[in-house]
Amino acid sequence: MYRRWLWPGFALPGIVWLIVLFLVPFYTVLAVALGTVDPILFQAVPIWNPLEWNVGWLNEVIQRLGPGGNLTDVALRTLQYVAIALGLSLLIGYPVAYYIARLAGRTKALLLILVIAPLWINYLMRMLAWVNLLATDGYVNRFLTFTHVLSEPRDWLGGRPSTVILALVYGYLPFLILPLFASLDRIDQSHLEASRDLGASRFSTFLHVTLPLSKPGILGGAVLIALPMFGDYYTPNIVSEAPTTSMIGNQIDFYFHGGPQPTIGAAITVVLSAFLTLIMGYYLWTIHRATREARAS
Amino acid sequence: MTHHPKERNGGLNRRDFLLRSAMAASAVTGAGGLLAACSSSTTPEQEAATTVVGSTGEVEAELLGPGGLPLARPDKRVELPLWEDPIESGLEPETGGTFTVFNYPDYFYKKLLNEFGKEYGVKVQYTPFDNISSGIQRLASGAVEPDVMEMTPDNLDLAVAGQLIKPINLDYVPNLAKNVWPELVSPFYDVGSHYTVPYTCYATGIAWRNDHVSEDIAAMAQPWDIFWEAEAYAGKTALLSEERETIGMALLRKGHPDINTEDPALIDQAVADLKELYEICNVKIGDLQYQTIPEGRAYLNQAWSGDMIAAYIYYLPKGTPASVLSFWKAEKGQVPVQNDCFSICKTTKKPVLAHHFLNFMLDNGVSYENFVDFNGYQPPINEIDPPALIEEGIVPEHLANCVLTNDDFGPDSLQYMTLTQAGHALWQNGYSDFIAGGS
Repeated sequence: MYRRWLWPGFALPGIVWLIVLFLVPFYTVLAVALGTVDPILFQAVPIWNPLEWNVGWLNEVIQRLGPGGNLTDVALRTLQYVAIALGLSLLIGYPVAYYIARLAGRTKALLLILVIAPLWINYLMRMLAWVNLLATDGYVNRFLTFTHVLSEPRDWLGGRPSTVILALVYGYLPFLILPLFASLDRIDQSHLEASRDLGASRFSTFLHVTLPLSKPGILGGAVLIALPMFGDYYTPNIVSEAPTTSMIGNQIDFYFHGGPQPTIGAAITVVLSAFLTLIMGYYLWTIHRATREARAS
Repeated sequence: MTHHPKERNGGLNRRDFLLRSAMAASAVTGAGGLLAACSSSTTPEQEAATTVVGSTGEVEAELLGPGGLPLARPDKRVELPLWEDPIESGLEPETGGTFTVFNYPDYFYKKLLNEFGKEYGVKVQYTPFDNISSGIQRLASGAVEPDVMEMTPDNLDLAVAGQLIKPINLDYVPNLAKNVWPELVSPFYDVGSHYTVPYTCYATGIAWRNDHVSEDIAAMAQPWDIFWEAEAYAGKTALLSEERETIGMALLRKGHPDINTEDPALIDQAVADLKELYEICNVKIGDLQYQTIPEGRAYLNQAWSGDMIAAYIYYLPKGTPASVLSFWKAEKGQVPVQNDCFSICKTTKKPVLAHHFLNFMLDNGVSYENFVDFNGYQPPINEIDPPALIEEGIVPEHLANCVLTNDDFGPDSLQYMTLTQAGHALWQNGYSDFIAGGS
């Protein structure tokens, strides 16, 4: 009996963690989104019983996010920013992870520490540092004008989508590199050697062996950074401040920040979570399929 | 031994308070009836104020705010009901432990707070909130237990109806009647000063760097139009990050002086006008104009009058002359004015000391030092003489319009005030539409 429960028991902390820090908060958000508002203090009054849920707020949000709604554009803009930032992160992060995993040799540990090093500083502090660096008379403009890349200083902080996207890339890149590195580092060298022995070129080996085998790492890293990017609101706040570059997270922040409709903030969160669940579902399905194929082979 | 006011006889809980208010309101029409449930007296103005005239000029049913409280306007005075008795007079202030001030970040001089703590033998803790709405939410949720907090007139009804702040015994606050501008001793939103004492005052206008902005904004027929003509200042133009101020500005620009309107057509039009600014100047939103304007990170900004005084005192970089800062505000009756207040929180464990704090805050010397040595926002204190501020060089002459006087307040002034829940939602959704940024 004791032995029967010993090993599954190791999963207990994880299960408790999941319940306390994910399921309970998520159900609370759901109960708020489908709840009511205190007419005096404007506080959300969650409805815990699903049979009594009030779908009015959620319907309103779905309409506002749908075609012709006043939140459609900000939702599409968020999708666009995250997609571009994700693509750029992969373009930058994959070669870095590949180099560290396969070519760095003795410097592997040092390079990994360097990748992680920015995370030792608070995200907001790093973004605020960029505000100074990107100022009209900041070091970035000074360098770019000195090297004649730019003829005159660029107003990076003037509400530009490019600045927001680059800031997202900068902020989340290390979280992509780490799972990618782990995935690439785990690839069995014998697979690559077999490919080369069978006549494949380096590029062909990369394309047909390394890349497919690192797909779980790519997806894992992509999910890891895309999820927080979708909910990000402080990055556009800090490096842009323009409504034209705001993201859906700014709307959630706005409605939770006071006023008589905190339920709308919760309802947007629920809709966003539903969308992200689809992405997460695709990731889990891919992992499941990869595992099954690996077992079959 | 002092009693915590919550332990006193005769107090009402929130349910009783609302029930009695509602019963009285149903028995007698209007504000007078509502107040009769809870308060010992009503003023003639209150008794007369049983209807309000909306932006369309039509007589509307009286609008009620949180908890069914009548909505105060500069020309409609309201005495708020007492949900419990104030503390008795003549009690000794509590000593020892911590005294918590709940306020906007960096909005009270730490040195003065420490002096207060030293005088009364307490450690003063300063707990900041992001904005007054979220501060009230945190107080209501029990996440914080401050002794005193910053309050604004447009949130006062909510705090009173929610029984989040306590009635004040003015015997402990003699500086209110002695030192404060007459208009704010017993202000229209809190007749009798049952729950608040004023802290600072300001007007909303336009701040700009005249070395970058070529237009003479003050000479324009409608100075607010400058934001709609700011193509040359794209990326350097910003509006306040406040839904009332932003939409209200667009209303004033089109000549609608009712900045507390709940007319959806007016709000929709104001939001549509604001959205034009995306294309014109890629407008930004934020509340750091006191820093971004003097530093040249912004050229043109909707701003509060105190911002440019703070900019001059603290944020102007060395080598940048004060003459580059400009501020415009409209004439009385067309300019939004506002005053911040302080209230005693229901969570206080030191109610007597909290009263002493309010009195300390309104001391001539303390309020002056807090103003000129720290936050730049003017307290409504009689002794602070606007010409003297300019003569002494505390405020440069060309920024004299940043200084307010008692005459800026009164029944014909404009002040953002509490809305009904539906009206508040209307403004909030309008602002949400604006900050969503369009396509």
